[in-house]
Amino acid sequence: MFLELENTAIALWVGTSLWAYPFLLSIHIVGLAIVVGIFSMRDLRLLGIFSSLSIRTFCYLQNLAIAGFVLNAVSGVLLFTSQASVFVTSIPFLTKISAILVGMVLAFVIQSKLTSEVDIKTKLLAVVSLACWTSAIIAGRLIAYIF
Amino acid sequence: MLISFAESIVDSMLTQWIQSTYWLWPVLEITHFIGLTLLLGGLIVIDLRMAGFFRAIDPAATHKLLPAVILGFALNLITGILFFYGDPMRYSINIGFQIKMVLVIIAGLNAAVYHFKVDPILQTMDRNLASPAIAKLVALTSLGAWTGVLLLGRLIPYVGTG
Repeated sequence: MFLELENTAIALWVGTSLWAYPFLLSIHIVGLAIVVGIFSMRDLRLLGIFSSLSIRTFCYLQNLAIAGFVLNAVSGVLLFTSQASVFVTSIPFLTKISAILVGMVLAFVIQSKLTSEVDIKTKLLAVVSLACWTSAIIAGRLIAYIF
Repeated sequence: MLISFAESIVDSMLTQWIQSTYWLWPVLEITHFIGLTLLLGGLIVIDLRMAGFFRAIDPAATHKLLPAVILGFALNLITGILFFYGDPMRYSINIGFQIKMVLVIIAGLNAAVYHFKVDPILQTMDRNLASPAIAKLVALTSLGAWTGVLLLGRLIPYVGTG
């Protein structure tokens, strides 16, 4: 199945075009900065740093973070297709995807708590969320090193 | 200048240590990525508000994120210098790296304009009013320059020599 995916026209374009792969990687890092940038600022704020900044600030930024996520989902799927059969057995890749899925679910849970007082439960969610995004970055980078 | 500096350090102890420590490069890369999320995460909020977007956000309070921006920049400056020392002959002649450094300098000068010119204006005005043109210009220049830094940084392995 993943070998078939690698042989689709779009996967071959990503894999063989001179500029497609670096172009998609560049898009992917801009998306990363938007998603992880906004969510890490939100989580740090929930943990009590920058405390004079209203927590509601991050209600307004949720859609921008989701836009960054969509950018990375699209560029990520395209990058994936070119080497699907390799990525699908890569432990760092699978770790990265798991961390992102948990991080995105947590983003919606945390979003629903941004209008009330920060309790210990929300702080715990912020810690797990930060750990997810940090793990996603670490695992993502290690895809190139651990096969 | 960059190339002669690269030639002067290529045989240094630091270069030899970086090249011979096999786990160091991925650790530096991961730190560089975490640094960029702190740098950009803070700037996205500060600059978009200063440029006039997200009017519901208190503009003065966004500046509380500056320590995250500065920490991210410090992390990336240190890891960036170590990357350069680790492979000076490759970075110094790389057009992607050269343009990236020009953009970092532009971003730095822009930050100086913010600190010495824009911030004093913002301090004395009602921040809920529309940002003055110079504040919008500085905010958009910052976002543009740093986005360029991200793009060029990622392209370094794929572009040739300049």
